[in-house]
Amino acid sequence: MAPRNLEKQLNILDYALSSLWRRRMKSLSVLLVFAAVIFLLASFQMVTQALTDKASQVLAYTPEITLQKMSAGRQEAIPLAYRDRLAGIFGIRRVVPRIWGYYFDEVRLANYTVMGMDVREMPEGDRLDTALAKGTIPGPEEQGRVVVGQSIVKALNLDERNTFSLFRPDLSLKTFTVSGAFSRDTDIMTNDLIVMSLADARDLYEIPAGLVTDLCVYVANPKEIGTIARKISAILPGVRVLTRPQIQKTYQVVFGWRSGFGSICLLAALASFVILAWDKASGLSPEERREISILKVLGWETSDILAVRFWESVIVSGLACIVGMTAAYIHVVYFAAFLFRPVLMGWSVLRPDLHLVPRMAVGNILLILAFTVVPYLAATVIPAWRSATVPADSALGG
Amino acid sequence: MRPALVFSLLLSLLLTLDGVLFADGLVRRKGEDATLARLEAATSGLGLTDPAVATEARYTRHPAVSDAMAPFMDHPGAIEHFPTGTFWLPPPR
Repeated sequence: MAPRNLEKQLNILDYALSSLWRRRMKSLSVLLVFAAVIFLLASFQMVTQALTDKASQVLAYTPEITLQKMSAGRQEAIPLAYRDRLAGIFGIRRVVPRIWGYYFDEVRLANYTVMGMDVREMPEGDRLDTALAKGTIPGPEEQGRVVVGQSIVKALNLDERNTFSLFRPDLSLKTFTVSGAFSRDTDIMTNDLIVMSLADARDLYEIPAGLVTDLCVYVANPKEIGTIARKISAILPGVRVLTRPQIQKTYQVVFGWRSGFGSICLLAALASFVILAWDKASGLSPEERREISILKVLGWETSDILAVRFWESVIVSGLACIVGMTAAYIHVVYFAAFLFRPVLMGWSVLRPDLHLVPRMAVGNILLILAFTVVPYLAATVIPAWRSATVPADSALGG
Repeated sequence: MRPALVFSLLLSLLLTLDGVLFADGLVRRKGEDATLARLEAATSGLGLTDPAVATEARYTRHPAVSDAMAPFMDHPGAIEHFPTGTFWLPPPR
């Protein structure tokens, strides 16, 4: 019984494939449009998921608490003396001051991120050399020496020379010597960085002594981050307290479906699906009615015709799904999502090398299927039923 | 050759390609472990808070340490106009 049933289904599959081949231009165009929609959705999903994954792995090492002073709704320099006011809070391991900011290079129209700190005070500061492709991290006593990201090397031509100058606010020049360059592997975090000592950063931005940009607070027990953050807020009410879990939470949602680009992908998918569904549901062509009538005269049952239509939908949507998702994976992994780079990086002049390896979890595949294949199959049920119930003599009479 | 056989050959070809991509993905993932150790050193050694993906505006370079008002701060009546603003959601608070 089972082999006979299998043989019947194989024959129906043969018929469905021949039927699709007979209308090959129409079938191919539906397949390509459907695959393109799936490609767009899957690429977006893979890029956002890979970026979110990377951010959550890396940001587990971000400072436990970051303190910024706010005034009139804007961030401003925070007094170093605030460090002493935190001394009374039990559980704080260390407080590290930093001066950091942006430097707009008017020649190259690029934004650099300048960071000044004593790296020896940071946790894992002595391991920082492992993140370098060449050179060493300068000590705090080595004035004018910096470590730069790969895009800075490229933008300032630092392969050929190892000194460059930046303008102070009064337009006098400050010269730096390159002591090392970050590895390409860390590009996603260090691409646009110029790391220098606290004194150099203070000199470059002309920040008065006793002020810094922010304070990184490290606690003895990570379970107490929330409690210590609340205590800091009570002692320093004008200070914004950012905790590691808050920063991690930001990156769980920052590349979201609600973003404008996500909505465009989703709307494009929905619009294409509506067009496909409309095409399927808007009635049978005379050729289709004729074909079904002939099949019925030859002895086919309604259930057989339904099975043919079902197989046709499964073949089209299944193939579109496999082709679309494979193309999306190749686009993201081997071509670094080049179609999305203009939107993901916008007018950025310094662009990191993105090495994205999306995790192909079952949940992600099911999400794509739920958005594309399932609605397509559902939309073809009614037309399939309508076509299957055509009376045998309706299209043959003339 | 019956159509179902041709179709199953095509399907097998596609699935073989997917299998090769999957195997390559596993190798790449292994390579990522060394990268991750370097990223950890850089992140904790410098106290970094944000990936350097979009460097065009300060609120897309550092979404985690800017607030939702940052895109509109440049002058009264300013609107958010950087392209990456369409890809990046404002941070939740």
